[in-house]
Amino acid sequence: MERRWGMTIDLDRCTGCQACVVACHAENNLPVSGPVEAAKGRAVHWIRVDRYYEGTFPDVKVKYMPVMCQHCDDAPCEPVCPVYATYHNAEGLNVQVYNRCVGTFYCANNCPYTVRYFNWFEPEWPEPLQLHHNPDVAVRPGGVMEKCTFCIQRIKRTKQDAAQEGRPVVDGDVQPACVQSCPAEAMTFGDLNDPNSKVSRLAESGRATRLLEELGTKPKVIYLQRGK
Amino acid sequence: MFVTGEFREKEPVVHTIRQLRDAGIDSSALDLFSAEPVELARGVLDRPSRMSLVAVSAAVGTGLLATAFIRYTQHDYKLVTGGMPLFSFWATGVITYELTMLGAIVATFGWFLRESGLIRRREKDAPVPHVDPGVICLRVRCPAGQAPETIDTMRRHGALKIERSGQ
Amino acid sequence: MATTPELLPYGRIREDLFRPLSGVSRNYVLATVVAFVIGAAGLVAWGHQLRSGMGVTGLRRPVFWGFYLVNFVFWIGISHAGTLISAILRLTDAAWRKPVTRAAEAITVFALMIGAMFPIIHLGRGWLFYWLFPYPNGRMLWPNFRSPLLWDVTAITTYLTGSVIYLYLPLIPDLAQLAEHRTLWRRTLYRTLSLGWTGSDREWHALERAMKLMAGMILAVAVSVHTVVAWDFAMTVAPMWHSTIFGPYFVTGAIFSGIAALIVVLAALRKILHLEFYLTRHHFNNLAKLLLLMSLLWFYFTMAENLTVWYGNDPGEMAVFAARTRARYAPYFWTMVLLNFVVPLVLLGIRRLRTIRTATIASACVLVGMWLERYLIIVPTLANPRLASASSTYTPSWVELAITAATFAAMVMLYMVFSKLFPIIAVWEFKPHPLEEE
Repeated sequence: MERRWGMTIDLDRCTGCQACVVACHAENNLPVSGPVEAAKGRAVHWIRVDRYYEGTFPDVKVKYMPVMCQHCDDAPCEPVCPVYATYHNAEGLNVQVYNRCVGTFYCANNCPYTVRYFNWFEPEWPEPLQLHHNPDVAVRPGGVMEKCTFCIQRIKRTKQDAAQEGRPVVDGDVQPACVQSCPAEAMTFGDLNDPNSKVSRLAESGRATRLLEELGTKPKVIYLQRGK
Repeated sequence: MFVTGEFREKEPVVHTIRQLRDAGIDSSALDLFSAEPVELARGVLDRPSRMSLVAVSAAVGTGLLATAFIRYTQHDYKLVTGGMPLFSFWATGVITYELTMLGAIVATFGWFLRESGLIRRREKDAPVPHVDPGVICLRVRCPAGQAPETIDTMRRHGALKIERSGQ
Repeated sequence: MATTPELLPYGRIREDLFRPLSGVSRNYVLATVVAFVIGAAGLVAWGHQLRSGMGVTGLRRPVFWGFYLVNFVFWIGISHAGTLISAILRLTDAAWRKPVTRAAEAITVFALMIGAMFPIIHLGRGWLFYWLFPYPNGRMLWPNFRSPLLWDVTAITTYLTGSVIYLYLPLIPDLAQLAEHRTLWRRTLYRTLSLGWTGSDREWHALERAMKLMAGMILAVAVSVHTVVAWDFAMTVAPMWHSTIFGPYFVTGAIFSGIAALIVVLAALRKILHLEFYLTRHHFNNLAKLLLLMSLLWFYFTMAENLTVWYGNDPGEMAVFAARTRARYAPYFWTMVLLNFVVPLVLLGIRRLRTIRTATIASACVLVGMWLERYLIIVPTLANPRLASASSTYTPSWVELAITAATFAAMVMLYMVFSKLFPIIAVWEFKPHPLEEE
């Protein structure tokens, strides 16, 4: 049976430390926008931590919600791309083909989660950050849309290594950078088609919710939270 | 042989044409030249046209071609997007519609060029009268023997500058 | 009451309508230079954008579509002037259309040409725009026909082809006339373009038949084109975009702005080319009434759209609605209502106030109002996405402003060139044969 990659994020554990954000930057060669462009709202964060405040002082409650591409099974961003730069692959990932993207911005406009980011200029890194690029990940040119890939390079690497060593890929082998870096162990990643995987079991939990579920996008990121 | 005559009014032209046709000259041998379109009653000088039929057939044909094109090429590229089927007539129906209309438009224009005679090679020695506004020029292609009778008919209905050319 | 043109002698009419084609006045040269400079500024801006990247614009996440898309929808809307007026009036055989049709058809072609540039200008990697076309290649590449942008490409191509043909067909007899009177390079130009038109009845019949068919077909295409442009937005899940009303709403808006553009253009032509006898109060009165009708229709659609959103109270949509009517975009929204509805209602609804001058003023107001309407459709929705943490604002940069200005300059230039080469009023159509039954 084909795999269907999914993720759970336990919001009752998330501390909002943003280690996942930093890890994603390091792993995926995210461009550094600089203070000027960031002030213009052009910073690129494939995973971002949204903060929701409820109540007034001193009874304030804060909820931290890491949001990244939900890899929707019925992704609204996919059918609107005129050049097939984004499509759904056989393992359930919403794939972005950088060198095919012509920059119509349609996918970004149709994403209800606003998780797509654009390369407004050619990417730059202040010295010496350009030295720590991950060789497994492409550096995107200006004019191209990008977003979270569920660390597809790690998925591929794990599958290759397993094939070379003649063993199957077991649950927990593939860990995207954000999942790996979370100090509160709030995130899990795995195959939703495997009923025994941790992700599948957590997805059945009574605390499982999905973002903007009513839109029918069938997102594959499950948020665990007690109450909404 | 060609006989041309100029008229200032529409009625005499109609009478002349009717008489010439009674004398055995076919519609295809008659041509009217004017600076503005002249409306004649039905039956006087009808030019059968197949333009509507051409437009509709081209439309239907192009529409079918467009749908087939989309369907077969889209199945060659088995990329799933948004949970939609690979080929859905409704999702691509707009393109079929537009190309249908494009087919009709281009066919109409092409047929116009053909039916008006603008792209067909003209008879080389057929004289093309210069028409001033307000003038209707009637050109008749007839055998030499019939020419005097034709000229006579025209003159009787008030034609001016009657000329003959060719053999 | 001035002499009606029907009572003027042929020679005089021909002289009047051919006169603008010869000679260049000082104002003409001045206008050309100004338009050229503005156009050049736009080109420089676009070049800068191509070189440095889309970051030179004011666009930002989540407002990924800004001025360029507003202009796109605006110009495609203007393009509905010509063909719709021309086609509907031809089909209903309205005699007053005769001096208006060619000017209207020219607006359509030029507005389409300008509008069609924007899908290329707004691309992040504009030099790869040809990837949207299905062409055989050795790299397994193919466009996605399910995307509304591809529907756009097909629709606009069809409409542009149809409009050019629709403009060209009734031009042929006039070109044949011009080929006799002009000299040197113009004679060659006109003679080639007139395809050897002799004025035979076969040619006239074929032309009239073709025009009748084209009028019907171009009408069908025109309605579909702006519906397809509307569906670029309506097919998304974005709040206040995903609305079934968008198709008819945009078409109505297009006809509305198209008529306004037509009135402005005709008023300018009348003044500059001294066509007071040909474009009379009668024509402007009829066009003004049409404009008023479209204003009421536009208002109806706007009312329907906003009332259903407000009453439905969907939180995602209400965020956009509040932004449009009460918060940041409110000044633009209410200005739009004033310009699109109140001004035409007053200036054109009250008969005593309906003159050529007020019709032109109302039309200019409508043009501004309709541009604002496109802006208010696109930007507030994008700036207020469903996940509120991503909300933002949008301010255009000099690049977008320069390119916008350049398109207006381009329109003026194209029109000036056209009216110098071809008579802006169809001479043959204008003067029916003297003995034709009316």
